Amino acid sequence: MKKIDQKESAVVIIGSGAGGGTMAYELTKAGIPCVCLEAGPYLKPEDYTNDEWGAFGQMAWLDKRTTSGNWRVAKDFPGLPTWLVKAVGGTTTHWAGATPRFMEYEFKTKSTYGNIKGASLLDWPIGLEEMADYYTKAENAIGSTHRGGRAALPANNNYKVFANGAKNVGYKFYATGPYGTNAEPYDGRPASIQDGFNFQGDKNGSKWSTAKREIPRALETGLLDLRANSHVIKITHDKKGNVDGVLYMDNDKNLQKQAAKVVVVAGNSIESPRLLLLSESDMYPDGLANSSGQVGRNYMRHMTGSMYARFDKPVNMYRGETMAGFCADEVKHNPNRGFAGGYYMETLSIGPAFMGAFLEPGGWGREFTNMMDGYQNLAGMWLVGEDMPQSNNRITLSNTAKDQYGLPAPNVHFDEHPNDIAMREYAYEKAEALYNSVGAIQTWRTPPYPSTHNLGTNRMSAKAKDGVVDKWGRSHDIKNLFIADGSVMTTGAAANPTLTITALAIRTGEYLASELKKNNI
Amino acid sequence: MSVSRRTFLTGALATTVYMSLWSIDPAKAKINAGSKKEDKELLMKMVRTLYPHDRFPDGPYIRTTDDVINKGNSSPENAIMLQEGIDQLKSDNFSKLDMEESTKYLNKMGRTAFFEHVRGTTTVTLYNDKEVWELLGYEGYSSDQGGYVNRGFNDLDWLPEPRIEEHPDLAAFLSESPTKFAEIKKMIANELN
Ligand SMILES: Cc1cc2nc3c(=O)[nH]c(=O)nc-3n(C[C@H](O)[C@H](O)[C@H](O)COP(=O)(O)OP(=O)(O)OC[C@H]3O[C@@H](n4cnc5c(N)ncnc54)[C@H](O)[C@@H]3O)c2cc1C
Repeated sequence: MKKIDQKESAVVIIGSGAGGGTMAYELTKAGIPCVCLEAGPYLKPEDYTNDEWGAFGQMAWLDKRTTSGNWRVAKDFPGLPTWLVKAVGGTTTHWAGATPRFMEYEFKTKSTYGNIKGASLLDWPIGLEEMADYYTKAENAIGSTHRGGRAALPANNNYKVFANGAKNVGYKFYATGPYGTNAEPYDGRPASIQDGFNFQGDKNGSKWSTAKREIPRALETGLLDLRANSHVIKITHDKKGNVDGVLYMDNDKNLQKQAAKVVVVAGNSIESPRLLLLSESDMYPDGLANSSGQVGRNYMRHMTGSMYARFDKPVNMYRGETMAGFCADEVKHNPNRGFAGGYYMETLSIGPAFMGAFLEPGGWGREFTNMMDGYQNLAGMWLVGEDMPQSNNRITLSNTAKDQYGLPAPNVHFDEHPNDIAMREYAYEKAEALYNSVGAIQTWRTPPYPSTHNLGTNRMSAKAKDGVVDKWGRSHDIKNLFIADGSVMTTGAAANPTLTITALAIRTGEYLASELKKNNI
Repeated sequence: MSVSRRTFLTGALATTVYMSLWSIDPAKAKINAGSKKEDKELLMKMVRTLYPHDRFPDGPYIRTTDDVINKGNSSPENAIMLQEGIDQLKSDNFSKLDMEESTKYLNKMGRTAFFEHVRGTTTVTLYNDKEVWELLGYEGYSSDQGGYVNRGFNDLDWLPEPRIEEHPDLAAFLSESPTKFAEIKKMIANELN
């Protein structure tokens, strides 16, 4: 592996997930040496385990966090607002693989939805036109099924219930994807053996993750200095205000320094804004890249909820791909339903271990155990839709709580917007109707899990006063500071975010590579 | 797993859930509270009342109760909480109540630290028990057995085989502007009226 001297001013990438891993590959592929600092370990498929709590304990980000706001997660999981991964590959190691694109108007929700009270909607500085090619590149990297001539995954049991119900209630737009796990061998990865456990890291390697594709390929270029177990705690800058290095804790909690000519922040929507805030200085008393005051604001987590239904015959939903079932009929903005934006329905299966904890956090008694007892006969789906950005939903530094290094822990504040609540209620009703149409004998409205989609806390904007980064992912304030993860999303759309995060990172990577080659940085 | 993870979830109801996963090495904890036979029986009755499964044998409930006791002794504060909870059950004659009465009783108890400790530990430990997985028909670990591709991932036969491909109109549906879409909806609605 490449060794870059700590005193050499390098291109430094913080995080190796969807955004960071993709940046590392784009830059090294273009001949640019990089240091990638990743807080977690480098785990390989043989380290992954088919055990829900085991995998969670192995990889989830469990550093100290606090919560506030009216969302139920703050009550159910006050110290665990998110489900994110601390490992090489980031949360793509645990992701399922749903890869829808944004629709054109979802880049322009302020113009499309109009003013919605309490929402800080803003149009993106880019649209589907600029993104189309990058979406194709990202789909080809991920190997999205149903796209680029790639085959569809077969119907598993959970999908059979879902698709039949969808058809019964008059939906048309259901299918087993697009999904980031191979139906047939593709790009060096084998076809799915329907082994489930996508949320636990895919041992079979059929699922795309940056740990499986981008990071190994970046290492193969000979230009990547990957440092796992390296947790960045501060970005430093020179007298002119440009960033010039990072401080990080190594595995033995020793403080290390790496000089930098460019810093790319890709730590996800909680840690990226937190790091910018932690990097405050005399020159930047409110944190880096924060002249707009928008760092940490407009935190989005998607409208979510799950519906589990019990039947009188076996389903065995856990066999096969975790989420390979998709329905788009409710995704279009149609204010007649009583809310703005739309949502997808996606099949979802969790094992008894997670079901016990997540079906109804705090729940007990006969009704609860009837569902658990019928585990074999359960089918399940996840509801995921656009939530309204709000200025005060934000990541701040806690005044009291500290992480393992004694640094202020992030507080995640989230109040649900009435639009989010109206959409969830509507979605639950529709999901119940779908399952009832195929004979459900009990249905359960499961509340949101700790957030798996975390977006918007360093939003992209045309004007410097409205956001943190420009349309290339470059911070408005500091010309050699870039952000490449879910935090740059101006608004969240209904789509699962990772395809868009990856497409944006490819775009930012190409731009940064060309700027570096032209000596513009 | 390190002791510090025990505290990563604290709050109204979740402390114990996560305590049961990563907290202490039970072998090293000094067990005091709840170790008497009658105390154990009381706790096991509470565990069963909270999560009743008629077809579960005693085994999973015994293991879960042991875990409730182990984790309840993870610190002096916890041991006090556990002992006080047990004493309360005793003085309220919990052992004499039938299923309906004991359910009512636990409902009234509210979310005390003791209640949440027993409930939270149980919801994780009971449903993470391998014998329970078997009882529920969950096969778990699958990669080492070649996945489910040849072991019934698509064996559901009480519904017709659905389409797996996307509907041919999907791309048009997604690219339609929402105004146009709303207009079409209105046209359809008018047509139907
Ligand atoms: C169970 C689950 C299922 C999901 N399913 C889907 C799906 O079907 N479709 C979809 O689109 N999305 C899905 N997601 C979401 C998807 O995983 C995330 O959107 C995506 O990985 C986010 O990319 P990112 O680059 O923003 O951050 P991440 O992938 O989280 O990467 C951030 C990385 O930065 C590292 N890091 C953070 N701070 C520091 C620091 N200070 N120093 C060094 N390193 C640091 C972290 O350890 C991590 O490795 C799922 C997520 C989960 C948990």
